[in-house]
Amino acid sequence: MRTWRESNVSNQDSQITHTKQLDKGRLGLFFTLPAQTALLFIVVFPLLASLYLSFTTWSPMTGRGTLWYQAYQFWAWFSNYWNIITDSAFLLSLVRTVIIVVVVVPVELLIGLGLAFLFLEKFPLKKLFHSVILMPMMIVPAVAGFIFYMLFQSAGPVNAILSKILFVEITTPWLTGSVTAMICVMLADIWQWTPLMFLILLSGLMALPEDQLNAARILGANWWQRFRMVTLPLLKPVIVIALILRGMEAIKIFDAIWLMTKGGPGTATETISVYLTKELRYLHWSWVATAGVIVVILISFASIHALKPIKEQEEQT
Amino acid sequence: MANILLDNLVKTFGKQTAVKNLCLDIKDGEFVAVLGPSGCGKTTTMNMISGLLQPDSGKIYFDGKEMNNVPVGKRGVGFVFQNYAIFTYMTAFENIAFGLKIKKLSEGDINKRINEVAALLQLEKALHMKASRLSINDMQKVALARSMVTEPKIFLLDEPLSNLDATLRNVMRAELKNIQKELRQTAIYVTHDQIEAMSLADRIAVMNFAVLQQFDTPLKVYNRPKNLFVAGFIGSPTINLLDAVYDSGDFILADFQNKKQVVSEKNRARIHDLLKQEKVVLGVRPEHLKLSDSVEGNGNELTARVVSIEPLGSKTVVYLKSDSDTGNVIKAIMGSDYRPKVDQVKTLNFREKDLYLFDKISTELVFRF
Amino acid sequence: MIKKILKYVLIIFVAALFFFPIYWMATMAFKPFPEWTAAGEKLYWFPEQPTLDNFREIFVRRTDFKTDISSTATGPIINSLIISSLGTLMAMVLGIMAGYGISRYKAGGQLPFFLLQLRMFPPAAVLIPVMIMWAFLRMVDTWYGLAIIYGVVTLPFSTWLMKTFFDDIPSELDEAAIVDGCSSFGAFLKVVLPLTKGGIASTALFVFILNWSDFLIAFILTDRKWGTIPVYINKLQSATVGQLYGPKAALGLLAAIPPIVFGIMIQKYLVRGLTFGAIKK
Repeated sequence: MRTWRESNVSNQDSQITHTKQLDKGRLGLFFTLPAQTALLFIVVFPLLASLYLSFTTWSPMTGRGTLWYQAYQFWAWFSNYWNIITDSAFLLSLVRTVIIVVVVVPVELLIGLGLAFLFLEKFPLKKLFHSVILMPMMIVPAVAGFIFYMLFQSAGPVNAILSKILFVEITTPWLTGSVTAMICVMLADIWQWTPLMFLILLSGLMALPEDQLNAARILGANWWQRFRMVTLPLLKPVIVIALILRGMEAIKIFDAIWLMTKGGPGTATETISVYLTKELRYLHWSWVATAGVIVVILISFASIHALKPIKEQEEQT
Repeated sequence: MANILLDNLVKTFGKQTAVKNLCLDIKDGEFVAVLGPSGCGKTTTMNMISGLLQPDSGKIYFDGKEMNNVPVGKRGVGFVFQNYAIFTYMTAFENIAFGLKIKKLSEGDINKRINEVAALLQLEKALHMKASRLSINDMQKVALARSMVTEPKIFLLDEPLSNLDATLRNVMRAELKNIQKELRQTAIYVTHDQIEAMSLADRIAVMNFAVLQQFDTPLKVYNRPKNLFVAGFIGSPTINLLDAVYDSGDFILADFQNKKQVVSEKNRARIHDLLKQEKVVLGVRPEHLKLSDSVEGNGNELTARVVSIEPLGSKTVVYLKSDSDTGNVIKAIMGSDYRPKVDQVKTLNFREKDLYLFDKISTELVFRF
Repeated sequence: MIKKILKYVLIIFVAALFFFPIYWMATMAFKPFPEWTAAGEKLYWFPEQPTLDNFREIFVRRTDFKTDISSTATGPIINSLIISSLGTLMAMVLGIMAGYGISRYKAGGQLPFFLLQLRMFPPAAVLIPVMIMWAFLRMVDTWYGLAIIYGVVTLPFSTWLMKTFFDDIPSELDEAAIVDGCSSFGAFLKVVLPLTKGGIASTALFVFILNWSDFLIAFILTDRKWGTIPVYINKLQSATVGQLYGPKAALGLLAAIPPIVFGIMIQKYLVRGLTFGAIKK
């Protein structure tokens, strides 16, 4: 590879830059190639295989003795798709997922925002409290699920505390009631991920231009007016990113649910991930492949829209 | 339209004292410049007057009313920040309207006032542009307009012109003075630029290291600086300061091989009474120094060698050093076609009444000849 | 003044809420069997007779509980360590290179955004074919089988994070190195990479935490031989006793240590990591 020094200086600059650009193209490829290859084999290829399977009714049970690529023997065209789209279990799992995301993410945002505001000022032991608030994020989600399982036992600490506060004996079997189980699952997620929103919003708040807020104060704006007219517009980009990121992850919610209720009672807390995992264990593989394809298509559409803000920010820099 | 009284204001940040026992008496409608180098406490003072900071001790009075406990938004103060602090997500119009909206003025009133201010500052074209798209000059005008439009009794400006390009700075300087006189607002203008302060202010408050050095009209600050700091801060190029020793009525100039600066009879007695010790500093401004080639023999001449020349168009600044090569560089201002050569020896001429006499230990002005 | 006190009380309250579950797990880890599920009034807020039995249970067999699985927790702990580390290694190597390529050459086309999209797919939806492939290649329940998936699944983070760290270093440094006679790859290796040491360390720790915390993928792709800690915790039951609160809490406590320690170490970069570099403090 020619270096800058070696190239013939009397030759036009254009030749030098041309050489550099060629090298740039090849070099860039070289750097990203390993990652792209890995993705090709471990993501793209399996997705295509999924697609293939989704047109069959093959499973390790029914296809005993055949290998997966011989699944064409069980060709079923679009019957899987038709069946899935009208399958109430599948559809309801999607609905439950959406419900959880729509509840959990805004709550985490609001609590995180409130906490972030509190942390703008100085107070004793601030660093300690900061670390404590971050801890839930660091707990392995499966373990967090188990902790909440323990907490919400009918003879567990939550009921004990509630009993003390309300002066009435509370023995709600949280995890065995459909609605209450859903609440517990949501609480577990809120507990675990509010610190993330807090962290993001705090850095957003600290980056706010103080002068603008001072100018608003001098012009007579009270706290609420400053928040609505100055702070919030300035925070909007950060809030959008936080919502998108948290939403992205919340769709996949699984660990805590599995450890707490395994999707129960019945199917009350069966989100899409839980549903698919159960089907997987029942060895309904082509069914899951179909569901997988549908989910991937849905999310791809959603992601194009959701990732636009991040894309725009990247292109600005 | 209010007078301001600052009574012994003190503000410390941790171990650092930002403002020390500041007493200031500003008259109604006066344009006061707070002048000093970075870190001298001027912005802190402004913040205390506006209410953004609470003084550790001391009181603030507007028109005789104590303001210490009055919250920021209710002091009737307008503030223009050095970086303008324009609300980024609003248009220029919405920025200017902000204070009026808070005051719940009617839409008609708001429009009227904004149009008036926009006409005054020539902002009409930019009114509906988003703040982030405005040019720096327009941003400054919007910052001004935003404060002006609420008709505050007191106008605080924190180095508002420092980010502007030079031509606009001069124009805006004149504009500002006119506006202030028209609206008869009491204005406090923070700057580190002494030319700005001298040209704009009715009175200048010179500060250094958290302490008020002097509070006087520009002329007095120029002619009767209270101490070496003020003398050296006002005037461009800075005043020439010569170390000397008082010796039975005359001064021995250390930088000029102990040549004697003879004092005229009429001043001898007073100097003898006023001087507390013998180490002094004599000051003479570059604009009062004349250079010549010949020796006139009246005992006041000193000679020095030219080290460099600065032709500035309308005038020429000549830098010289005394023969002994010790001591500070001496500056003199001559006409635009004066072109000495480096290493030429010139005679320094000045009149006795142009001299300033400072006590070297206390740094205070002892006598003005 | 009152406002300040109220705010402080609020902070204490919220911190207590966040801390309580962790406290519960920590104390449960040291509670003897009788104190596990004492009900209502008799609830043990603090182990009255703290014991290390739970830890013994998971590391050494005491057959009082007659658990289903015959193995101890040492295996899963080692598995988690090995697999998480290897997955991290793979994600880092691929990610550092890809991140550099994207940062300096804007290479890879849609790669950066495909990586983001990748994070949006629920693993359960896309794991079937991987499972099948792995079964076919006999890579199920192996350390390399899982480690490779971990490497891919955290690739978005390692790529984006390293990209932002490379962005922080002006490309003039690369060009200066090239002018001095380095090849482009040499400039990367000898000049830029050493400057990003801090970023590499933080990214690696961050990715490690993610791998260590995973449950679903390990659940699907491993079982007895190479099950990780979360998989093991899920399985820890007893025919005689039911849910094994104590041992599970003990293991959970142990498993919580690396993420908490690493998390504190990379505190500065947490926001950057969790937002794919969109927000840098």
